[in-house]
Amino acid sequence: MPVIEVADLVKEFRRPKQQHGSFAAVRTLLTREYTVKRAVDGVSFRIEPGEMVGYLGPNGAGKSTTIKMLTGILVPTSGTVQVAGTTPWRDRARNARQIGVVFGQRSQLWWDLPLRESLWLIGRLYDVPADRFAQKQKQFAELLDLGPFLDTPVRQLSLGQRMRGDLAAAMLYDPSILYLDEPTVGLDVVAKERIRTFVGRLNRESGTTVVLTTHDLDDVEELCDRIVLIDHGKVAYDGDVDELKARYAPHRELVVQTDHLEGVEGAEVVRREEGKVWLRFDPSVTPPAELVAAVLARHRVTDLSIVEPELESVIHRIYADRR
Amino acid sequence: MKAHLACARMEFRVALTYRSSYLSTFVMMLLQIYLLTVVWSAFYDGREEMDGIPLATMTAYATLSTLQYTLVNPWRSSPIEQRVREGKVAVDLLRPIGFPGQMLSGQVGWVSASVPVLLVALPFALLIGAGSAPASVAAGFAYPLALLGALLVSQLLGLLLGMVAFWTLEVSGALMAYRFVAQFFSGALVPLWFMPGPVRAAAQWLPFQATAYTPAAIYLGQAEGTGILAALGVQCAWVVVLGALAALVWSRARQRVLSQGG
Amino acid sequence: MSGVRALRVYLLLAGAAFRAEFQYRGNLFINILGGLFYQGVGLAFIWAVLDRFGQVGGWGLSEIAFLYGLRLTAHGLWLLPGHQLVHIDEVVIEGEYDRYLIRPVSPLVQLLTRRLRLSALGDLAGGAVLLALASARAPVDWSPGAVGFLLLAVMGGALVEGSLQLAASALAFRMKQVAPIKFAIDMIFSDFGNYPLKIFGTAAGFGLTFVFPLAFVAYLPATVLLDREDELAVPVWLGWGAPVAGVLLMYAAYRFWERQTRSYESSGH
Repeated sequence: MPVIEVADLVKEFRRPKQQHGSFAAVRTLLTREYTVKRAVDGVSFRIEPGEMVGYLGPNGAGKSTTIKMLTGILVPTSGTVQVAGTTPWRDRARNARQIGVVFGQRSQLWWDLPLRESLWLIGRLYDVPADRFAQKQKQFAELLDLGPFLDTPVRQLSLGQRMRGDLAAAMLYDPSILYLDEPTVGLDVVAKERIRTFVGRLNRESGTTVVLTTHDLDDVEELCDRIVLIDHGKVAYDGDVDELKARYAPHRELVVQTDHLEGVEGAEVVRREEGKVWLRFDPSVTPPAELVAAVLARHRVTDLSIVEPELESVIHRIYADRR
Repeated sequence: MKAHLACARMEFRVALTYRSSYLSTFVMMLLQIYLLTVVWSAFYDGREEMDGIPLATMTAYATLSTLQYTLVNPWRSSPIEQRVREGKVAVDLLRPIGFPGQMLSGQVGWVSASVPVLLVALPFALLIGAGSAPASVAAGFAYPLALLGALLVSQLLGLLLGMVAFWTLEVSGALMAYRFVAQFFSGALVPLWFMPGPVRAAAQWLPFQATAYTPAAIYLGQAEGTGILAALGVQCAWVVVLGALAALVWSRARQRVLSQGG
Repeated sequence: MSGVRALRVYLLLAGAAFRAEFQYRGNLFINILGGLFYQGVGLAFIWAVLDRFGQVGGWGLSEIAFLYGLRLTAHGLWLLPGHQLVHIDEVVIEGEYDRYLIRPVSPLVQLLTRRLRLSALGDLAGGAVLLALASARAPVDWSPGAVGFLLLAVMGGALVEGSLQLAASALAFRMKQVAPIKFAIDMIFSDFGNYPLKIFGTAAGFGLTFVFPLAFVAYLPATVLLDREDELAVPVWLGWGAPVAGVLLMYAAYRFWERQTRSYESSGH
């Protein structure tokens, strides 16, 4: 039984048409013409309980709009969404209890109040029993190291601290689904790692389903087994991260550190730099072991390694192919 | 000057993008003219005149001051608070023209967005309320000058008020009090000639009458001959005083921004 | 969401807003002062004009003051919980409303409690003092029934004004900028609700009763209390029933609000 089921989801936005030329502003004011923008154009997918899915796409592809329909913020133009048996925008309050949402750009905490009080309010709003609340707060304070700033007003927190506070607030009432919208944007490496570790642990220990939109593909590589790629409001790819790499980037690269290398059979020299040579090969045609043996047999090699393609370049290739 | 024009044009466009607000300003203005006309008629209650002011003059005053008010006192008195709130003052300071100049021209652009509305509304306003020709040739020539003076005084007051944002953003209460006091003493609701003695004296010594009462009174012939010159002179004096005050406050504000980074 | 739970959540969030506001103590005081100032100026206007003209529509200073006090108290009573609707435009345009939709409590309650502006206390206190003073001077026979009706009328008036502001705020989900409409509504209530309706003539009087329900805020209840039913163009029971109109209008406005929220588009897609 999928926990999230999306079918033929469409969302259109209507805007008054911008006029150009002289008196453009006045004519825009008087116009009755509208432009219709289809932000999400027939998206379908299913997510099983406990999955961690990366929902990716370039800016304006329809990522946020989809997430907003899943969380009950937007009403779709057509299509259906089922989240754990509810239709989010129709059964908004019920849906709200089973989901946690973190928007990287915008805090959901009370700006002028200490973090501790925000957490307490969330506990009350979601009817978390007092003992359960105390236990949760203690657990998160430990996992996310909230202790040093629990009594600081939210507006004085650093971005990293605020994100940790937001994560704690989103998970305080044990929702079974967690939506993360750009959770690591603007954070330093340490802060990013702390957030990823926490989310990974939530998923392993509580079986929380995670839907993640991000620009940082390291988030996806580290956390997600599956990605849904969206482009121009349509699903461009839906499946395994490994499979995606195999399909769109079948080549590996062998990096050889040597003083001289002209060429090897079954591989192509793609780059030379500071005594290093990059050889691209297709492992299904040229087994890596044979290639390495062939190189070692004929050259003096001081070091060598095989490089996997990076998700980022894979995704760039998919978008390039579609245009 | 070109750069100032660019600032003005930008804010003009911003003001226009809110189309619905634009249309409702129009409706609101006509409604107010209608209601004021009725209320003043009821106060007169069949009397031909009161203290030498005929009903027709009073309703024309109400019509004119309402039309003017949209132009001279928009609901946003200055863009400064918004710029400070959004942390964009630092960017503004990098531009090649002075900050107060940018804010003033921006606000002029914002205000002039209501000119098309006024032009469209004018015939309706005359139909609903009461129009009248300028009381004399002199009044006809002096009115545009007085209106310009009103605009200058109100812009400078708005600038001064806006600059408070450099010290504190929590001014909504004080701002509200200010708006109502300013509106009352500007004569936009009750003309100075109907104010009880002490109140009228206070109104005459405050800058607000220059923003509404002065042009309307000149137009309707309630200030005549040397009275017109005196009224324009008072406006000029306020422009000088408020301009100097604004320069002083800005020099303080600037130091504050430079040392605290906006 | 049940009414009891809504009230509990309201008090919880309003408490939080109060604690947040209390961090700016100086501002709190100045806000209350701001509200009081508004009262003073409004009164100054009425006093200034009546000082010259003596009466308007047959109503003298004490009667107009009673009408004014009734309307102002109703206004303050509505403003205290309803003030944050002023910010509906920015809440919708900047997508703050997103946050309200992902919590299991009424988005409207969250909107109303996003901040607390105590300037409304100034309006309410000023209105109540004026109403009390004017009640003592106005020619009304203060039986317990009359006092009870006055209290109901104040609550009904608050609901009438609130319903129009709520309905106008609901338009923000489609129109994005409704602040000027709401200023217009506020202007009609505050500038013209202080006069006996009969001065506007039959057609406008009808419009201000049945199209824009200004009459139900203060004029109708004040007229029956002042025993001036003769000047009413509508049946007298409508005057005594004014508080009910507030309840009905607020119910309709809330339904309208609920319907319009479906058009919410959030920000930045």
